[in-house]
Amino acid sequence: MKRRDFIKSSLTAVAATAAFQTVAGKAMAGSVLKVGVMIPLSGPAGLFGPASKNVSQMAAEDINAAGGILGRQIEIIFGDAGLPPAEAAQTALRLWRGEGCEAFIGMHDSAVRGALINVFKEQVPYVYCPNYEGGECANGVYYVGETPAQSVVPTMTWLANEKNCKKFYLIGNDYNWPRDTNAIAKNTIADIGGEVVGEEYMPFTVDNFDSSLAKIKDSGADMVLITLVGGASVSFNRAFASFGLADNVMRLGTLIDENTLMGIGAENSKNVFSAASYFANIETADAKAFAESYSAKFGSKAALLNGLSTSCYDGLTALDAIAERAGGLSVKEMDSVAEGTAFGSPRGDAVMKNRHLTLDIYLAEAKGTDFKIVKTFSKQEPGNFCKA
Amino acid sequence: MAYTLVVKSLLLAVLILIPFLTNSYFAYQLGLYLLYGMVGQGIALCWGKGGFLPLGQALFFGIGAYISGTILQDSVGWLSVISALILSILIPAFIAGLVGLLVFDRQIGSGPYFSLITLALSLLGYQLANSQVWITGGFNGLTGIGGLPGIDSYGSLYFFIVGALAISTFVLVYLIRTPFGQLLEAVRENEERTQFLGINTSLVKAAAFAISGAIAGLAGAFFAPHQGIVTPQVVGFILSAELVIWAAVGGRFGFIGPIVGAVLIGFLASGLRDSFAYWEVGVALVFILVVLRMPGGISGMVTSLLRRFNIDILSNNVSSRSQIIPKKNNLRKPVLKFDNVSVKVGNVSILDNLSFTIENPGVHCLIGPNGAGKTSALNALTGKLDYNTGNVYWSGKSLKGIRPFRTPKIGIGRKLQVPSIFSNLTVRQNIDIAIWVNRLNIKHLFSLRPYSWGTNLLKDLEESFPFLNKTDVHAGTLSVGQRQMLDFAMTVLAEPDLILLDEPCAGLSKYETEKMILAISKLAKTSKATFIIVEHDMHVVELLSDNVFVMHQGKLLAQGSLEEIRANKEVQVVYAGGSK
Amino acid sequence: MEALITFVLNFIYSSATLALIVLGLAMVFGLLGVMNMAHGEFVMLGAYSAYVVQSLGLNFIWAIPISILVCVVVGWLMEWTIIRHLYNRPFDTLLATWGVAILIRKGIEAIFSRDYKSVDQVMPGTIDILGITYPSYRLILIAIIIFLFVTLFAWYQKSKTGLRIRAMVQNPGLASAVGIDTSRLSTVTFIIGVSFAGLAGVLLAPLVRVEPYIGLDYLLSSFFILIVGGLGTLEGLLIGSAVIGGSDALISTIFDKTAGYLSVLLLSILFLWLRPDGIYSRR
Repeated sequence: MKRRDFIKSSLTAVAATAAFQTVAGKAMAGSVLKVGVMIPLSGPAGLFGPASKNVSQMAAEDINAAGGILGRQIEIIFGDAGLPPAEAAQTALRLWRGEGCEAFIGMHDSAVRGALINVFKEQVPYVYCPNYEGGECANGVYYVGETPAQSVVPTMTWLANEKNCKKFYLIGNDYNWPRDTNAIAKNTIADIGGEVVGEEYMPFTVDNFDSSLAKIKDSGADMVLITLVGGASVSFNRAFASFGLADNVMRLGTLIDENTLMGIGAENSKNVFSAASYFANIETADAKAFAESYSAKFGSKAALLNGLSTSCYDGLTALDAIAERAGGLSVKEMDSVAEGTAFGSPRGDAVMKNRHLTLDIYLAEAKGTDFKIVKTFSKQEPGNFCKA
Repeated sequence: MAYTLVVKSLLLAVLILIPFLTNSYFAYQLGLYLLYGMVGQGIALCWGKGGFLPLGQALFFGIGAYISGTILQDSVGWLSVISALILSILIPAFIAGLVGLLVFDRQIGSGPYFSLITLALSLLGYQLANSQVWITGGFNGLTGIGGLPGIDSYGSLYFFIVGALAISTFVLVYLIRTPFGQLLEAVRENEERTQFLGINTSLVKAAAFAISGAIAGLAGAFFAPHQGIVTPQVVGFILSAELVIWAAVGGRFGFIGPIVGAVLIGFLASGLRDSFAYWEVGVALVFILVVLRMPGGISGMVTSLLRRFNIDILSNNVSSRSQIIPKKNNLRKPVLKFDNVSVKVGNVSILDNLSFTIENPGVHCLIGPNGAGKTSALNALTGKLDYNTGNVYWSGKSLKGIRPFRTPKIGIGRKLQVPSIFSNLTVRQNIDIAIWVNRLNIKHLFSLRPYSWGTNLLKDLEESFPFLNKTDVHAGTLSVGQRQMLDFAMTVLAEPDLILLDEPCAGLSKYETEKMILAISKLAKTSKATFIIVEHDMHVVELLSDNVFVMHQGKLLAQGSLEEIRANKEVQVVYAGGSK
Repeated sequence: MEALITFVLNFIYSSATLALIVLGLAMVFGLLGVMNMAHGEFVMLGAYSAYVVQSLGLNFIWAIPISILVCVVVGWLMEWTIIRHLYNRPFDTLLATWGVAILIRKGIEAIFSRDYKSVDQVMPGTIDILGITYPSYRLILIAIIIFLFVTLFAWYQKSKTGLRIRAMVQNPGLASAVGIDTSRLSTVTFIIGVSFAGLAGVLLAPLVRVEPYIGLDYLLSSFFILIVGGLGTLEGLLIGSAVIGGSDALISTIFDKTAGYLSVLLLSILFLWLRPDGIYSRR
């Protein structure tokens, strides 16, 4: 076996890339720093595209007003990440090798993340923005979204106690994020002496939740943890309320954002709770200032702010903070200083730990089609997914 | 052929040069679209050539990708690469072949059922890929797939993809030139007729589908190391639909078109979608335009443009009929017996205890007013119509439950009422297919030798009908009379023992009728075959027949020489009271 | 017992709504041989009509004429520019209407954005019936759908237009020979078909989510029903809806929703394979 050859050729490839980057780095010192921002512009998540775009632009302006990253003004180049992973990876590659982007921000699903990590091969820094199932720790990748350990554990414990819930029903779409979230939720339920009375995963194509609702009713559940995404969450919650279940059964979700709530509608949103690191009407000074400047800039009819789109702001801010601390954009430099990097954001103060963020988590209750923060859980730790 | 070889070699040269002419990420991107184009080639084989549309082709692509991804995930070495390639080709091919066999065997034609089944299978695959996390990694995908050993995924892997593409193109182009390809096109043109020429059409279609599955699997096998990740979208319905769209826009009647479509739309979409939110509108409009105005797609447009400049890149060299196949001489004992055959559909009796026997070679005519059951009797005889009771015997054997494509094997040839030929094939191709009946075996199916076959009977027929020499004329452009004659020639070229001719002179001019009658009686004398001719024209009957059967309301009314029939009272009543 | 009654009501509800959704598609496919991949988009147009009417503060009933108007205009444009050139080319209609579906989706996205829209129920709340609590709007909807089908059945059997349509389906050549304007009848059939889809969209809007991409969900379930129930008869359509809705509900209740969905897919494949003639039972 020509293992030696293989190693040799990989080394050559690495050396070539390193040479490429140094040359590029020298040539571009002081010039504009291009940052690739991968957000969903099409596909089911395309709903979050416009707001993500706006927020990213705001972040770029704020960073540039404060002198840019490493003294270089940044320019954002958007790429569509709402596509199947193969196509999204093509786009990222084009932005990287073709347009010369030197860092990436991503707000998209985990499958696309897997594809992008594979494209970048630890050669370019990449900040993954949205909340996700946790468990990752690739070199050169920084995760600024909350994990289930941060969002589910405290909020569920508090809410169950507050509303005296003992029986829990877990329902989600049939993929990794809901399953991983529920695995953590089940531990929490055991910790608080509750009982899991049902656990169900729905195909993405399902639009009729009648059999699940019958099971929920039958099970006597007093809290439902919802990890359905997007349209499925809307359909489920509407049907849930129409059966008159809303009065007595609490609904808690970690991906029920402002848009989803609009879709659920005021008449179906009673006792809907959502846990996230950001809501559009957090009452802190930073968040208020952010929301005000957003509507001042894009108008009152602009796409709704939510946790997902705002995570792009944190993504760029985190990139800025880590790069400044490292004094460069190479993955090695950034990885070595990432731990402990602190920065402020509309969500509150954040500190990087194990490539993830220690964050404040908010529990919001739906009032009509608006969220009202009922409880803040400050400085939630992300857990450690990095192997020793 | 020379032109298309030049064109294809040029295209291949351009593909090989691209990494040197552009940057490597461009070639990397192109590699993905070439893989999609390969899957499109398989769709073109089924849809353009075979006339049946697979709507779930991503399933085979995805299975190939998952197989190769799983193998490459675990180990790096050429042995595993080769086993990955082989399995990614064979397993999808097997699944496709099996689906094809099961589905096509139950239904003739290329209706939407097959398409919808493939669509449903693709949906099924997508759901399983999402929920069977232990195999597929679920939604987040199968990750950590290594590249080929020592091969840079961004660099030289591209050349492997181009190589695979060259192989698949070569194989497909060759296949379509072989008798197998010609039969596949015959199935598209007229499946029923192909069956009466003794071809198990469901097998031909299933084989084509299996080949398309193999090519899709091969493309998938390269997709895994190219992308390093395989997610459920690769087996899904959306990709399946897109593959069909790309094949249609590029051109589904050739094997270059699908690649052009995939590459063109791929680059167009990737260039537009980040800057123009409504890029899909553009694609949709182009697609609608293609369906409405240019079914041949881009490559169809180019071909017709070239033809305007008298460059016909599609013309085939016609090989000469150098190998004369001798006449067969072991005729079956021509005993045909209808024994109380009854067919009822609802309350309507189509055949009503029909019984008659034919024991002598020669020309027998079957006459009777409209709806008497003449064609139905032939249908019952050739397995087109199931009978409730009774039985049909040929050479002492029962024909109950026989499949139409088996009838030529036992020496029965049939010409349908409406001239039934392969309109979009040339006269030469029509005749080739007819000559192959009962003579083509598996070995010949993929060789070019059968194109040189000829028979003495063909020479006779060419003398009677000189237009049969116009080899490169499309059969669809012939006159009605010539089509009848071609159909007749095709029926008898297999040298059947029992020749069933359903109104061979319908639509012929007086002159043509004379020629046809002459040809039939000449053949009847030389071949010693048994003819059953359904005819309305008493003039024809008079000239041809020594024995006439009269049917009425599904029953045999009379039998005898024409004189005897004319004298028969019952027959007179039927004809006087019936039509005309 | 309660669980059983809930199951039965859910079964009736899902069969009825499925039948309503598929009605237009069955007309267009069964009578014209056109596989309208944009069918779900007309359901979507209906749902958006309901949203617009409600956000303008008008009475919900206005959504019905408005949705029909929208569907007639869009359907006529579609028939005039595309469909009528493709009769007897089933694959081509399938492909072209797929393109149209994209155009309609993108059009709605341009006007209303991707955001989810919520349509309020006309009669919110629940009613206690047969010892269980059930959403009142669902019961109304079931009643409306049953009424609609009974009326339609009577009309198709009795009226002259129904007779003409039946004549056209059975023998197009003969129908035009005896003076039936088949091309105009085809246009009308197509427009009526898509208008039924729009009507379904209006009626369902208060219960489902509303966004530009919902069409695909309705399209796929509709095809499964067509496959199982067969074309050309209202009875077949109802049976298909009941089989698909019922097997999904039953398997989902016993096992889980994934099993329910897989059972629908497998059932469709089996029907396509083993009983394809049942689909075109009238042809």
